[in-house]
Amino acid sequence: MSTPAPQQTMSTEPALRIVIVGHVDHGKSTLIGRLFYDTGAIPAERYAEIESTCRAQGRPFEFAYLMDALQEEREQNVTIETTQTRFSSKRRGYLIIDAPGHKEFMKNMVTGASEADAAILIVDGEEGVREQTKRHAYVLALLGISQVIVTVNKLDRLDFDRVRYDQVTSDTVRFLHSIGLNAKFLIPISARAGDNIVNRSQNTDWYHGPTILEALDALSPAALDSKRPARMPVQDVYKWDDTRRYVGRVESGTIKRGDKVRFLPSGHVSQVRSIDRWPISDLPLATAGACVGIILESEVYVEPGEVMALLHHEPAAAVEVHGSLFWMGRKPLSVGTRYGFKIGTADSVAEVVAIEERIDPSTLEVRERYAERLKESEVGRVILRLEKPVAADTFEVNPKLGRFVLVDEGVVRGGGIVRALSLEDGARARRIIRLDERLLVDPSGVLIDLRGEKGELEIVAGDKFLERTRAGERIALRFAGMRPFGAFVNWAYENFVPFSFRREKEGVWVSCGAPEFGSQSDQYLDGPGI
Amino acid sequence: MSKTEEKRLAQAEIDESTYLDALENQTIYIFREAYRRFEDLAMLWSIGKDSTAMLWVARKAFFGHVPFPLVHIDTTKKHPVMIEFRDKIAKEWNLDLRTGTNEKALAEGMGPEKGRFECCTALKTNALQHLIDTQGYKGIFLGIRRDEEGSRAKERVFSPRDRNFQWNFKDQPPELWDQFNTAYGVDTHVRIHPILHWTEMDIWRYIKRERIPVCSLYFSNGTHRFRSLGCVPCNSPLESTATTVDEIVAELARTTTPERAGRAQDHEKAYMMQKLRSLGYM
Repeated sequence: MSTPAPQQTMSTEPALRIVIVGHVDHGKSTLIGRLFYDTGAIPAERYAEIESTCRAQGRPFEFAYLMDALQEEREQNVTIETTQTRFSSKRRGYLIIDAPGHKEFMKNMVTGASEADAAILIVDGEEGVREQTKRHAYVLALLGISQVIVTVNKLDRLDFDRVRYDQVTSDTVRFLHSIGLNAKFLIPISARAGDNIVNRSQNTDWYHGPTILEALDALSPAALDSKRPARMPVQDVYKWDDTRRYVGRVESGTIKRGDKVRFLPSGHVSQVRSIDRWPISDLPLATAGACVGIILESEVYVEPGEVMALLHHEPAAAVEVHGSLFWMGRKPLSVGTRYGFKIGTADSVAEVVAIEERIDPSTLEVRERYAERLKESEVGRVILRLEKPVAADTFEVNPKLGRFVLVDEGVVRGGGIVRALSLEDGARARRIIRLDERLLVDPSGVLIDLRGEKGELEIVAGDKFLERTRAGERIALRFAGMRPFGAFVNWAYENFVPFSFRREKEGVWVSCGAPEFGSQSDQYLDGPGI
Repeated sequence: MSKTEEKRLAQAEIDESTYLDALENQTIYIFREAYRRFEDLAMLWSIGKDSTAMLWVARKAFFGHVPFPLVHIDTTKKHPVMIEFRDKIAKEWNLDLRTGTNEKALAEGMGPEKGRFECCTALKTNALQHLIDTQGYKGIFLGIRRDEEGSRAKERVFSPRDRNFQWNFKDQPPELWDQFNTAYGVDTHVRIHPILHWTEMDIWRYIKRERIPVCSLYFSNGTHRFRSLGCVPCNSPLESTATTVDEIVAELARTTTPERAGRAQDHEKAYMMQKLRSLGYM
């Protein structure tokens, strides 16, 4: 084995953050060690240090030692903490977050995975899918990590048997599908021997897909949420230099000088006078990711934790959260108990009203309905009642403001995503449907199928959209039933938008802006079966 | 230069800038979170490149102010130019600078010849602990980075120390989605690491973009420069002809030597850094 030439990236592309997950001893650390070795990312000094440690212990070179830099880990041969280390391909840099595999180390795996752009799920070819394989995959789904590479390891011990490989990948893919994840790549490897990691294996002539490194190079970084509604959770208010600055990070969308804004949950309204990012004191705009100070036209009393949003495009001020939660506390989560609740920059106190379902993350079976407790490393659907309202979105609408943590005895013990919200007056949060002129570019009209929406809807449309639909441009919509359709009817009535509709067994077919119902070109109104 | 080449370089500059902005934004977010959550904060300033760059970001986070004291643990064995640099910057940036020195240990003749582990513990860890005890700091900013060495790679952004200063790295609470653990008990002080996610290369690229002043020891005297600054007896320079920040960036792109190769305390014995750090070393 020759030592390849080292290469430190000069690429200016941001490093892609990768988490490696899978059952204990399926080869996570070995895979990382091999990636580092084959890309020349191990500094000579560290390599020599690991080599001498291994020699002293009378064993062959252990790639896993690279990651397991702490003393205790060497002694137990298990990764304890999430470690981050880097290597590079010719394309870009990678930040590898090593996730531990032992059951009790779930919290570290979550800490690691919560920062990742993509994941490699490693499965031992001999053992196949095991409990933690499923548990970790479930957490990836819960954290919203959709780029997953599945790799089957230790194939050298199975003579690179294709039949066994196909069996393991098919089991894995089936489980991933059931939790809404798709594997981007399936790769047969031997991490220890270096097959299909960086160098193409001579032992898998039946495999024509990418190596691990090639697959990584084909992934893309998690997109910034600049297309979602504008939200800036207020982190603090500074009163220096005779100026009141509302500081925070724009989590999604864009905020511009002159924008009319509303703070939730207080409801205060003002206008952006300037956007301050010292030493530049007057930026025209700030997009998702930017930490800025906002100076308003009028000084309003806003507390840290409120969310600044564009007027009429606000999040909900929620008092009840319905969410999916994973619990990491040694003490079980229990109904009737109060926990610290944090979302965005807001703090509240949440009482667990109900644990609707206690779910086994490795089988996805509901272990119990209306359970009293959720034990460590368990997942459940919960209802939380908040002591004071907080501004929040559902995870689907805006992930950054749709995820929360629960705090017990001062530290984070649970993480969850918001499925639904109840507002202060007891109403369910409405799903807002935005119609804008981009929907009108197709001359034959556009179909918006809203049959998945069973709850309350709110239709919001831009001025240009209204102008053009009134002028006769068309859009076709489908609704599941009267409730969501009713929201549309109200909107059309208030905005003088002509429409026609037909009731079908599958729902309601609507042609909006059409001059006349049932014309020849009305292709979207042809009824079911399209 | 061809048109496409020009375009490519211009794009690379924008990408690098976006990348550095992302690092800077995360650091600003951590600073502001700490400032919101803790009453008594201080920042450890080693006069090195990392904590100086971190200090620069603090000024951005607080609109030109630095609303907490800067603490320099002075072992009295530092390079004299470091002290000159410290005092000059402290004056220019209007900093509240405080120093901590273990006078008792020095009077008893503490030095690396008594053992590097003992010396680091007495002159750095104990001096820091004394300062924290007497000043009542609840949160301390430190400019450590995950890529420096193994035990730092395991750190959280907000990392508690118990009354005896110990770091329990085996049982750290989860830290996810920037919801940091800030509500620890009163016995504890919390180490806050705003640049944990940066690399050595990131720091130099940022120093270059922002034109941050750094101590002259980082630049070559013709044959050698320091890559990591510490106390004179335990700090050796490396061979280098880099006399500008650009040349340092180019040199780092080629090197395979670890950053702290010139720091004797890291190499004294196995797990030395981990042992030092679990006792409260930076």
